[in-house]
Amino acid sequence: MRLEKCYFCSSTVYPGHGIQFVRNDCKIFRFCRSKCHKAFQKKKNPRKTRWTKAFRKAAGKELTVDPSLEFEKRRNVPIKYNRELWQTTVKAMKRIEEIRVKRQNQFIRNRLRKGKELRKEADVKEVEKNIHLIKSPAAKAKRLEKKMMQVVKEEDIDMDEEA
Amino acid sequence: MGRYARKKQHKGDKPMKKKTKTKRKTKDLDQIHADLIPEMSSKLLNQEVDFDKPGAAQHYCLHCAKYFINEDAMKTHFKSKPHKRRIKDLQIEPYTLEEAERAAGMGSYVQPNYVPISTQTLKTSMDEDGD
Repeated sequence: MRLEKCYFCSSTVYPGHGIQFVRNDCKIFRFCRSKCHKAFQKKKNPRKTRWTKAFRKAAGKELTVDPSLEFEKRRNVPIKYNRELWQTTVKAMKRIEEIRVKRQNQFIRNRLRKGKELRKEADVKEVEKNIHLIKSPAAKAKRLEKKMMQVVKEEDIDMDEEA
Repeated sequence: MGRYARKKQHKGDKPMKKKTKTKRKTKDLDQIHADLIPEMSSKLLNQEVDFDKPGAAQHYCLHCAKYFINEDAMKTHFKSKPHKRRIKDLQIEPYTLEEAERAAGMGSYVQPNYVPISTQTLKTSMDEDGD
């Protein structure tokens, strides 16, 4: 038994789930659920539909090129059962998945970092632009005037002492 | 005493239901790409007279997989939005099951190629060129 991939959203189609459409040129299209089947019937483009894996890959939202993606393949040659091979394969599958998830998460973290920088930049800009709401320019002028008065007074005192 | 006929409470999205029936299925983009191969396209563009088809199957738009009743209708179609949109959609390599599998994690992503496609030349203008 094979776990097929959905034509539209690329999720796994488990036995007993979804629907299969055979076009009049014998091409087989498998769908994981009616949502995907309907979208196909409406001739939606999976590359432009935001919730599909094809979109996420095309738009650079997910890890696209990586050696960890090269292990899973459609192998059409049957292999005789061998307990040792079976065990090592299962072990390898788990390890590969672990590595893949790790890289995927790192990729997403790197992708989101850019947004963080941009948001910070925008915040700084906003504060600079609207600084008058935090510090009143009138208050600044008053403070300057006070300082000037003090300086003038000090000068007067100095002049008096000299005299 | 007979039962009352049940009133239909909800008809659903009737036009969409009708359009998406398998009976009314139109060609997909990958099928049209296959049609654009010169052997196939020459067959489609030079069809025999068939009175069951619109315009006796003499005016066929390859990219939209559509028959027209005469050349004027076809000319206006070439200028229309749906035709231009279709040309644009066809300019990117069609989506395949292989791409779906690659997206699912069975291989790395491969960017679809650009395929230059332009509207077919009209039969009469082709004849003029020949003369």
